[in-house]
Amino acid sequence: MTQTVAEPRGGGGEAKAAGGAAGAGAALRRMREFTLVPALIALVVLGAVVNDSFLTERNIISILGASAALALVVLAESLILITGKIDLSLESTVGIAPGLGALLVIPAASAGFGTEWPAFLGILAIFVVGGLIGAFNGFLSVKLRLNAFIVSLAMLIVLRGLLTGATEGKTLFDMPEPFFSIATTTFLKLPLSVWLAAVCFGVAGFVLRYHRLGRALYAIGGNPEAARAAGIRVERVTWVVYVVAGVLAAAAGLCLTGYVGAINANQGQNMIFTVMAAAVIGGISMNGGKGTMTGAITGVLLLGVVDNLLTLAQVASFWKQAIYGAIILFALVISRVTSGQAQE
Amino acid sequence: MIRTKILAGAAATLSAVLLAGCGSTSDSGGGTQAGGAKGGKVGVGLPLLTSPFWQSYNNYVPQMAKQEGVDILPTVNSNSDPTQQITDINNLLNQNVRGLVIAPLDSAAIVAGLNQAERKGVPVVAVDVAPDKGKVAMVVRANNMAYGEKACKYLGDKIKSGKVVQIQGDLASVNGRDRSTAFRSCMKSNYPQIKVLEIPAEWKAEKAASGLDSLLNANQDLKGIYMQAGGVYLAPTLQALKSKNMLFKAGDPKHISIVSNDGIPQEFDAIRKGEIDATVSQPADAYAKWGLYYIKAAMEGKTFQPGKTDHGSEIVKLPSGILEDQLPAPLVTKENVDDKSLWGNTVGK
Repeated sequence: MTQTVAEPRGGGGEAKAAGGAAGAGAALRRMREFTLVPALIALVVLGAVVNDSFLTERNIISILGASAALALVVLAESLILITGKIDLSLESTVGIAPGLGALLVIPAASAGFGTEWPAFLGILAIFVVGGLIGAFNGFLSVKLRLNAFIVSLAMLIVLRGLLTGATEGKTLFDMPEPFFSIATTTFLKLPLSVWLAAVCFGVAGFVLRYHRLGRALYAIGGNPEAARAAGIRVERVTWVVYVVAGVLAAAAGLCLTGYVGAINANQGQNMIFTVMAAAVIGGISMNGGKGTMTGAITGVLLLGVVDNLLTLAQVASFWKQAIYGAIILFALVISRVTSGQAQE
Repeated sequence: MIRTKILAGAAATLSAVLLAGCGSTSDSGGGTQAGGAKGGKVGVGLPLLTSPFWQSYNNYVPQMAKQEGVDILPTVNSNSDPTQQITDINNLLNQNVRGLVIAPLDSAAIVAGLNQAERKGVPVVAVDVAPDKGKVAMVVRANNMAYGEKACKYLGDKIKSGKVVQIQGDLASVNGRDRSTAFRSCMKSNYPQIKVLEIPAEWKAEKAASGLDSLLNANQDLKGIYMQAGGVYLAPTLQALKSKNMLFKAGDPKHISIVSNDGIPQEFDAIRKGEIDATVSQPADAYAKWGLYYIKAAMEGKTFQPGKTDHGSEIVKLPSGILEDQLPAPLVTKENVDDKSLWGNTVGK
């Protein structure tokens, strides 16, 4: 995150112009942030009624622990959506970044590359891989001006295929303990992964609201030409967002690895649908320029609560998916009604 | 009820006859070609390669082909996509294979591919999944119902009463359904004191982890777990138990009995360590061996009858008229985990 804050050198005047554009809808935006809260409260009350153990400390820790990885990817996707782009390949980054990191560390007998790097280098490699993938995605969509949706769809397939190829489809089991510690070590009872997600959301929320770089994202997503005219270095800022998103997705991958205890070649597969659902019900606009971190995090929590609730309630397993989908739909409607504005 | 069954049976037989009838002319045409070559190439189709089980099956195929004297093309992977599987079958047929060994992803969606093969007079052996209809020389499959029952009996005898959870496979797949139904109904009829909880995890590790994580909060008195796919669920299950401080070795009074399904080397390690109790070993080597054995026999024009076989299995006639060789799937526990004949002990990790 630190590199983000240090990056652009646009003058104060231009940033103010960008801030002004976003400031006009500030009141509306603030509403938008909390539109999901009524739905969330309704679900929590329902949960407390349905199951005694729903509101216990243990269970709440479980919900947060299970949502940490999703939260990081939603954060990454939200930043990209706000900038007016889209990146579907994040779900594959969630698999391949920790996958490559693990392959560099584990011995050849356990399907690794045989390089047997020390664990900390392997974990460092995870973030580097995430950043590089983000940079490459940025190159394709910013420099080559390819359509972000299609090009990231292609990257999704390529990266998934690379992971399957590199592991020969095998599930990687024998990672050293540090690969899992982000999800298994706790601080004040919460796993580190939850703290990581919380800190990332906090920093992103602060930067988006108060720093000129954050405001530049809204300006670019709202109208790139106007942003450029206002002196924002549109290409460079967008590129940085891609790199940050790649690193965040890699971090999510590490959290998921710790949570699951292994890396399957399918890790993260189909996750992007849940990510999009969480972002959109959290009020992030698919058209760019709108949405807040508070909204995104309520979207993540809502999905986490629903999933936990359905498991605890032991709804008939054949019907779980349908009910899960219906609740997402219901949440969308509620947030539309409570905010009183059209969803984009 | 009975009436509809008879009607359904009659309809199935009729359609099987009709289908067989449809293909007969091209059958003979293909037959004469094959007769000259006696053998010819065999195509082998894989459903997916992201599970340890199918990887080891994939490794066994060339070995067993050599052993059985079958000439095979490199294996083809359909990557969990039933449509791709049809395309793969067509591609193999276009390469003039004289026999196909296919592991269908879906019992219904494979029928179009089988019809293509029949039109060209190429015999097919189905592995792991029995097609709903269409012409196959033989289905080679371990009985997935038996997996669920074995797991149920083992857990039931061990804990007698209390709560168990089954971490299910994809309920849209026949194997996931069979294991779930068999486990559930066996528990219901044999161990009424046991309450079965369920986690529909769709063969996905993260779903298993979060589901178990949630359930353990509400059910601290959980006594047993059945994982329908050890290859995917082993790590998340152990991880979830560890994070809740509920992982105790077998023998400890607080130990939760765990039965797995698949028989990969990591499960054997966990059994040796006492982390889990047992696993149903899905016979990857036997799948490859008998799949190739039957395709060779079918290409030579041999046919088979229902009844006991010479390799410890039984050929049964399914309601659709298809023959299925139901291979035995041994239950592996601490006592026999080091048995050299288990496929999980013959492959590297």
